[in-house]
Formats: sequence, structure tokens, C-alpha cells
Amino acid sequence: MSKDVLVVKDLNMHYETLAGNVSAVKNVSFSVKEGESFGLVGESGCGKTSVAMSLLQLQADNAKISSGSISLDGIEMVGMSESELRKVRWDGISIVFQGAMNAWNPVVKVGEQIREAIREHYPNNTKNENTEKIESLFKMVDLDSSIMDRFPHELSGGMKQRAVIALALSCDPKVVIADEPTTALDVVIQDQILKEIKKVQELLGLSLIYISHDIAVIAEMTDQMAVMYAGSIVEIGPTDQVFSNPKHAYTRLLLESTPSVVGEKKKLRSLEGEPPSLIGEENGCSFSPRCPDPSDKCKSGNSEMGLIEVADGHFADKCCVECG
Amino acid sequence: MAEYIIRRTFQMTIVFFLFLIFSYLLFNAIPGNAFSNLLLNPNLPPDAYQRVLEIYGLDKPLLERTQMYIVNFFKGDFGYSYKYFPKTPIELISERLPRTLMLFSIVNIVAFYTGFFIGKVLAWRRGSKAETWITVTSVFSYTVFYPWFALMMLWVFGYKLGWLPIGKFLYPEKWYDAPFDSDVVFTSMIKFTVVISLIQFAAYLASRGIESLSLRRNIRFGSLITIFAGSYFYWNNGDALIQKPYASDIAFHMILPVMVVTVVAFAGTALLTRTTMMEVLKEDYILTARAKGISQKRIRDRHAARTALLPVVTSFIFTIVTIIDGSVLTEQIFSWPGMGQLLLQSVLEEDIPVAMATFSFVGVFALIAHLLADVSYSYLDPRIRIKSQG
Repeated sequence: MSKDVLVVKDLNMHYETLAGNVSAVKNVSFSVKEGESFGLVGESGCGKTSVAMSLLQLQADNAKISSGSISLDGIEMVGMSESELRKVRWDGISIVFQGAMNAWNPVVKVGEQIREAIREHYPNNTKNENTEKIESLFKMVDLDSSIMDRFPHELSGGMKQRAVIALALSCDPKVVIADEPTTALDVVIQDQILKEIKKVQELLGLSLIYISHDIAVIAEMTDQMAVMYAGSIVEIGPTDQVFSNPKHAYTRLLLESTPSVVGEKKKLRSLEGEPPSLIGEENGCSFSPRCPDPSDKCKSGNSEMGLIEVADGHFADKCCVECG
Repeated sequence: MAEYIIRRTFQMTIVFFLFLIFSYLLFNAIPGNAFSNLLLNPNLPPDAYQRVLEIYGLDKPLLERTQMYIVNFFKGDFGYSYKYFPKTPIELISERLPRTLMLFSIVNIVAFYTGFFIGKVLAWRRGSKAETWITVTSVFSYTVFYPWFALMMLWVFGYKLGWLPIGKFLYPEKWYDAPFDSDVVFTSMIKFTVVISLIQFAAYLASRGIESLSLRRNIRFGSLITIFAGSYFYWNNGDALIQKPYASDIAFHMILPVMVVTVVAFAGTALLTRTTMMEVLKEDYILTARAKGISQKRIRDRHAARTALLPVVTSFIFTIVTIIDGSVLTEQIFSWPGMGQLLLQSVLEEDIPVAMATFSFVGVFALIAHLLADVSYSYLDPRIRIKSQG
């Protein structure tokens, strides 16, 4: 049994806005084991990216982590000073951002931008060592080493995304977060990039956190997964179990709204309504207004929240498990 | 790139040609001429005025004179000054140019650096109290009526406090037994400034390729020390030692104009830098840089300010033109006998050859500055580099 690299416990994060506090991340707990890939799925605005940003503590200025703990290899990251955090960033946790197009500084050469990250974390490396390192990274993601001397605008979208993956791996991080890395790419390139990530992850034994709104990609990429709704995790467990035996109504709806290539033809279902506003306190189940079949207790707002274990390592929201 | 520069040079020649014709015609459109006042002198015989006009060729028709002037201009003959007769415009300009160059190159460099630095710090500290106050002050100094402000500063520092000299660019009594002209001192001051900037620039270039950031910093710091030691050595030996008291006299007279123009000129750069940099700070690659664990200062200077520099450099190159035309206002207010004063005087006195020569000097400089802006832009922004080749 491999050990946990990243443990997140009861993480709460909110944005302070003029309209009030927006709780973007509510009591999120999960852990990622060494060499394991963990998926985070949910619709837009459910707090996936907020979780990713909290892990690196790169949240916007008006965002506050109010409670909870993030520990990387047993080292607590919440409450770290800026200079300590700088050491952990990229070296401990690195990230592949959504939209590789804008992740590169347009006036600095690609190689130089990777070199800069390595230089920050390994200040004693010589120039040649760093060049070799970048070459080997490029080889790993199937890029030519001449790309080092190119400017970002000279690369295609797919090449940029590969280079971003190389950048994310440049300091041998323990955990890599992939935040919708294929958003801006066409389907063919998306597939290539996904394979690239999978290959690299297996090759290096990385712990990967894969964030996506596409549940099919999560199925393909991950060992463990969590479904997020309105800032909280509503279901978490081994990916195959969650898929074969979804316990939460929201997970079921997500699955039923995705077309399947194999198997019998089923009518796709769509999810009515909008995600709830995250401003202020709320009582009871946040999914009940959109739930196709809520119990009376759930509708009245008196249902108990919290995850309960439904199978070995598979947890789901208590309210929904009791409902249906 | 070479093809682009050649094409631009060709275009610039045509523009300059038109510029020459139009300015010559416009100067001649001023009523009267440089010798009109001779007519008011009752002691001169009536034909004397006519004789003077014939000597200077002013009796010929305007079109013929224009044609003659243009032809002579391209032969390198700019004529003689009407007012300072045996002197040519070139002699007058070469006497005035170093004074203007010295004052305004220092003003521009100081104003640009403080402006850029303050601008990027303002954008970085967006929302703080200091940011608000400095921005308000910058807007004030950007919009203040400049001649009034300059006169107020003269009044405060020159008259009320008496710390700094009013008017003149040197104390004539100090120069009474000076073994050389003030131009000699100006020239060696300019040379000195150019050499130290080149040394610093070379140190910057040399240290760029070094991988270790601390070594890089040390080299740049070392070059600064070298410059300080070198300047001390330079001004205490040989020719420079004799020039030193005179040079310091000029430097003393430069303090107030440099200060006043800087206060007015830095604000434009600062506000422009602040705006462009705030745009850049919203970009995703700033977030990437932060995620990489790079220090705040390096993100500010290397990632944000580097991209924000583009429009700022363009505006800076256009203001460089004022180094030569010497901001007529400034030189008038501070009695600084440079190009700006020469220009104003020659126009007022209808000394057309001098006015034309000064004007075309400024014109050539402006054209070159625009070309320089385009070329430097394509070097600063690689995305443009490709387009100009394609």
C-alpha cells in the first residue's frame, strides 16, 4: 500500500466580495496516494479550480482559506509564509493550467521560461545541466529540442500544451495538478495530450490531480475520483466503483447526461436549473432544488449533510444516500 | 529587416524633402525680412537697403530662392546667418548643441527611469494608500501648467531659499580666466556620460547569459562600483582635473532645470507604465510565474514590466526628439542658451538660414527617432518581429 502524498482535510475557502462571502470550497477532504491519479469533476463554478488554487495557495487576493489543512508529505502548507510557499510551489506541487495559450509569457523564449523555474529551485545547476534537463523533458513529451529557442507564438496549440506539461515536470514535483489541460484544444489533440499525460504519469510515478468537467475523461484518466457540487464533495471513491454504482443523484445525472459510444442507446438527460448561489449560509442539501426526486425531509431543508461510507472507500452524501 | 529599413529610409527622404520646401515657404511667408529695420534708419541712403537685399539674394523671386536653397542644402551649403554674419548655421548649432544635449539627455534618462520605476511599483501596489497619493500627485504634475510651475520653482529655490542659481548656465565671473570654452567642458561631460552608460550596458549584456542569479547581481553591482571608482579617478587626473571646477559649475546650474523638467516629465511615463502594467498583471502567465515559485520582485521586473515596457519605450523615443529641439520653453525660462533659444531667436529675427538649419536638424532627428521606435519595438516584441519579415 503506497502512502498518501497529499492530504487535504476539511478545507474551507471563501471569496470576500461586496455582495458577501462566497464559499467556493466547503469542507473538502481527500487524499492522493503516491503514483495515483485523482479526478475532480463537476460543472463550471463548482469550485474545482478554487481547490486547485488553494492547494498552491495562489488564490486571488480576496480569497481566504478560513480553515482546514493541506499537507504535502506530512508538511502542513496552510499558514506557510510566502517564501516557504515559493519553495513548495513547482518543486512540491506543480500545475498545468487551463488554456496553455496564455500560460506563456509572449516575449520570453519557451526554453528560458522553463529554465527560470529550474534555476529558482536548483540554483547550483550549471547552464548545460539545465539545458540537458529541458531536452530530456521535451523528449518525454515528444517535442523537438529546437523548440527551446522559440517564442510561444511560434508554437501550435498542441505544442504549447506539451511544452506546458514539460514545464510542469521541470522540477520533479511530487504532485501535478492538471486543471482542464485540454480545454482549448481540438478533439484529436485532446486525445494526444491525454495520452501524453497518462504516459508521463506512469513513467515517472507521479501523483496526479486531474480536474475536468468531462466525466468521460475522468473515467479514462483516474484511479480515484470525487464529484463536486456547489463547493463540496458529494461523492468520492474509486473511479470504477463510482461509475458502476453511483450513489448520489448528481453523479447519476452527470453520467446520464454523457453519451456513450458503446452499449444500448439511451436518451440523454439534462440537468435542470442553475447551480445555487454560494453567497451566505445555507441549510440542508444544496442540490435539493435540482434533484429529480427529493425526499420530504430534503425539501424541508432539514436533511443531515456529510459523507457516509457506502462501500469500501466509496463515500457519498448522507442525504442523497438515504433518499434513494 | 534590412529591406524594411531601406524602404523606410527612402520614404523618410521624400518626407524630409517636402518638409524642407514647406518650411522654407512658410518662413518666407512671414511679412518683412531680416533687414526690414534698415528702412527705419534715416541715416542710411535709400539704395543701401536694396544693396543688402542683393548681397543676400533676397531680391530674387521666391520660387527661384526656394529652388536654390534646396539644391544648396543637399550640397551641404546652409548659407550664412543674417544676424551673426560671418558665422554659418552649422557653427551656431555646433556651439549650442552640446549644451542642449547635456541638459536634456540627463533629464530624459532620469525622467524615464523614475517614471518607469514608479509606474511599475504603483501597478504592483494597486489599492494601497501610497498608490493613491502618488497617482494623484503624478496626475497633478502631468497636467500642471509647466511655465508657471517652472517659475514657481525658480522663485522658491532660487529666490526664497537662495540655494540654486537663477538663470544662466554658468557663473561668468568663474570663467573669466578659464583656459577653454564652455563647449569643451560640455563635450567632455557628454563623453563621460556616454562612456559610463556604455560600461553599464556592457555589464548588463555580459551578465545576461549567466545561469546563477546571485552571480549576475554581483556582476552588475561590481560594474557600478567600477563606474564610481573610475569616475573618481577620471575627474582627478589629467585634463579632467583642470576642467573639474568648471564642469561642477555647469552641473550646479543644471540641478534646477533637471529637477523641474523631471518632475513634469516623469508623470507621463509613470501613468502610462501603471496602466499597461495593470493590464499585464491580469494575464495568465503572471499566475504561471507565481506558481513556479519565482520571487515577487522577479515577476514584477522580468515578467510584468518587461511586457509593459513596449508602449512606454515608444512614447519615450518620441520624447527623445525634445533633446534636440530642447523644449523652447525650458531654455527660455532657465536662460539656457541651447538649441531651443537659437530656434526661437532665429525665427523672431527672421534669420532664415539659421532657422531652417535648426528646423531641419530637429526634423531629421524626429524622423530617425520614429524609425528607431519601429525597429526597437520589433526587437522588444518578438510577435512583431515575424510580421515585419513576412
